[in-house]
Amino acid sequence: MAEDNDSEPIADGSGTGIVAPDDETPTWSERKERTQGLSRLTYEYFERARREDQDLRMESDYVERDVLGFPAWPHEMIRNFALTSFFVGLILFLSATLPPHIGPPADPSTTPAIILPDWYLYWSFGLLKLGPLNPELSILGGEKLMADRTYGVVANIVVVGFIAMVPFLNKGSARRPVEQPFWAGIGVMGVAFAFTIAALSVKNLLPMDSHLLFDLTFLIPPVLGLISYTVFRAMQEGYMYSLNRRYYRLRPPK
Amino acid sequence: MADEFMKGLAIATASGLIWMVLAGWYNTPGFEDTQLLGADPADPSALEAIALIVKEGLFWFMILGAVTFWIVLPAAREARARLAN
Repeated sequence: MAEDNDSEPIADGSGTGIVAPDDETPTWSERKERTQGLSRLTYEYFERARREDQDLRMESDYVERDVLGFPAWPHEMIRNFALTSFFVGLILFLSATLPPHIGPPADPSTTPAIILPDWYLYWSFGLLKLGPLNPELSILGGEKLMADRTYGVVANIVVVGFIAMVPFLNKGSARRPVEQPFWAGIGVMGVAFAFTIAALSVKNLLPMDSHLLFDLTFLIPPVLGLISYTVFRAMQEGYMYSLNRRYYRLRPPK
Repeated sequence: MADEFMKGLAIATASGLIWMVLAGWYNTPGFEDTQLLGADPADPSALEAIALIVKEGLFWFMILGAVTFWIVLPAAREARARLAN
């Protein structure tokens, strides 16, 4: 093949010297020196992919039609009716077989012993219990700058402000956590904090010393974040290695 | 591959749904009591006894069906491919 057509690039990983053999992937410095070959290699890679695509299309008996879309009736409507009937049927089935419980009427004259918000607001409820973190400033003669309840509300603003700030600090170009271990660690820390602060909000229901729980609330998230950072960091080299290896290796022709 | 996943998922969800309904009928003493995992009725009628057997069967069908299609069959196929090479 190389004799009769010299202009045709050989893409089996042996000929051009562009592509490293499988067992010796180039080092980073070697890759940096290779500025010429990379564009050529990229071209070959996509050209091969394009030609394989074309061959598959020639082999296939699927007829491509120039259709911009499907008509709403009947094509789309049949699908929509099928999905709608499925979910309506599920609702009817469940409401017939497991009718909802109707509790006794609410009694406005008594206050329940335990008052909690809905579970998805536990984190915010937990932020109202940060009294021990509210510093007693000696400059104010041992007084606190603001009341504990004000402090809890301000803590909400801090958390929401941080969440609003993160997209500006990191625009999130990573497709997987392993690609940006630091921000993955930050994310794990935030998720862990959401859970621990939620646990803190129901501290009187947990079978645990409340001071220990308070400390763990702020200790566990950074520890988990650090662990995930180190794990991702350790995984990163192998991940980038196999990614580059896949990129630098062209499949031999069948 | 996707088909196998769908089979396992269909088995798990469908039998899980029926299991949940039967457990809601026979193993739920009250809304604010144990739900779905309560004790079996002490003196079941014939119908209740059949339903409890069906519930037990569906429970294991849910688990074994999903395990079969998601783990056992793919593993067997992998093993056969390895052995063939």
